[in-house]
Amino acid sequence: MTVIKVPKPPRSAYDPNRPVSSLLKMQVEHLYDAEKRLPSRYRSEVYVNAIRTEGEAANYIRAVTEAIHEAHADAERARRAPKRTRGIEIAAVADERAERKLRGRSGAKKNSEKKKR
Amino acid sequence: MPPGLDALKHIVVLMMENRSFDHMLGSLPGIGGIDDAGAFANPDTTGAMMQPQPLAAFQGQLQPDPDHHFPAVDLQIFGGNMAAGRVANMQGFVKSYYNQQQNVGHSHEILYYFKQIDLPVLTTLAQEFAVFNRWFASIPGPTICNRAFAHYGTSFGRVDMNLLYVNEPFKSIYDRMINANHTSKLYYYDTASSTMEITNLLQHQPQLFGTYDQFQSDCENGTLPEYSFVEPNYSDHDTDTGEEVANDQHPDHNVRAGEAFIADVYNAIKGNADLWASTALLIVYDEHGGIFDHVLPPACTPDQFTASANDTQTGQPFAFDRLGVRVPAILVSPWVPKGTVVSRVFDHASIPATVTKWFLGDYSPRSPRETSADVFIEPNVAPVDPERNLLSLDVMRTDCPDFE
Repeated sequence: MTVIKVPKPPRSAYDPNRPVSSLLKMQVEHLYDAEKRLPSRYRSEVYVNAIRTEGEAANYIRAVTEAIHEAHADAERARRAPKRTRGIEIAAVADERAERKLRGRSGAKKNSEKKKR
Repeated sequence: MPPGLDALKHIVVLMMENRSFDHMLGSLPGIGGIDDAGAFANPDTTGAMMQPQPLAAFQGQLQPDPDHHFPAVDLQIFGGNMAAGRVANMQGFVKSYYNQQQNVGHSHEILYYFKQIDLPVLTTLAQEFAVFNRWFASIPGPTICNRAFAHYGTSFGRVDMNLLYVNEPFKSIYDRMINANHTSKLYYYDTASSTMEITNLLQHQPQLFGTYDQFQSDCENGTLPEYSFVEPNYSDHDTDTGEEVANDQHPDHNVRAGEAFIADVYNAIKGNADLWASTALLIVYDEHGGIFDHVLPPACTPDQFTASANDTQTGQPFAFDRLGVRVPAILVSPWVPKGTVVSRVFDHASIPATVTKWFLGDYSPRSPRETSADVFIEPNVAPVDPERNLLSLDVMRTDCPDFE
């Protein structure tokens, strides 16, 4: 079996301060478009027109990508969670019924009292 | 049935960035590279004819990034001839690069290619498995619209880099798979690199995505989906664990980093014996990135969309009826005979076409471009044409190379 040595790039290959390429610029714009559709609490508040380097672009891309995942995960959790509002509604309805009963009883009491008088 | 097809359970596509076939693999003999180019040369702006030279550098040479938007690629392919009935001649690469810096000497560098020894991973894989020497970009244009063909079988009429919002009824290959209860995933490198082009999918279906770390663990644990699409790292950036060097090979990122990444994807699959036996890995580049190639892009079935003259910025509309420049493409599997050279015509629409035919069989609707695209893995239904089946060995190879 042949074993091929894979040369590594030199350390100097790494340059997060390299000016952002047109490809990354476009990726930033696409994600900016996606970010605008997120609820405000997920937004990065990064001014994308000021992004100049690959490192800056990567930071923004990370923030929006993670925010998209987070927003979807939160929405999914909310979808699956027991619906509190429904519980409150049921409780409210129950309270209303009890109140009506009470009102009914007291009304009946008043009526019977009236009748007694 | 051929045992290689019987064993096949996974297809993995790794799509790299912006390098042409001659630039990366042209040094290999007998596969339609430089030795097939004859007296191929490009005129520079002084009128001197310049020939390709094996002088490509890993980094620092292709600055600025060679133009590969539609009008520039039009110049590269047709040499500036805008007459009706014009014929492709691949004579405009040097002229196009000159336009960016007005430096005659610098413009010659667009004709540089790598020596075989420079790219031990890509050239080894090309010689050990199946190399496609007529795989073309889907469009004579940039990244976004070309990658769209790999996901949807069409770019929905786009020839540019603008955000793609897909039109029904052509669903992504991932949707098709998931809807039919198959498994499929896109693996981007990490969240700082994210996905290229398919922001549309990311914001609507983030569950389709995973990271490269997850790809590696899915390979190790035997949990890889039936169809996976892997994206390289598009930027130099810091992470919690250290520095990540861009490995997409997009100029002017270091080509050796991309070599190491290709080897890593190969190793991840080969490291799990069961997965290795049941997986076909396609390594392909999205487009040529403005770098020379000598083979004329062929005509193809028109798509149902037309890009307007305004969109193409050439004064002419485009009916998606011819392909872009030739790119490297290699199919890796232990069932592929060593030294296979495939000379049929493919483009990125062949990716969803193949995955659909293999996993889903007949499926519609699909774009005219996709339905007419050739497939690189034959459907495993009788009769399988032995001339077209690339996973044709009766016994799995045990002599495949290792990278370290």
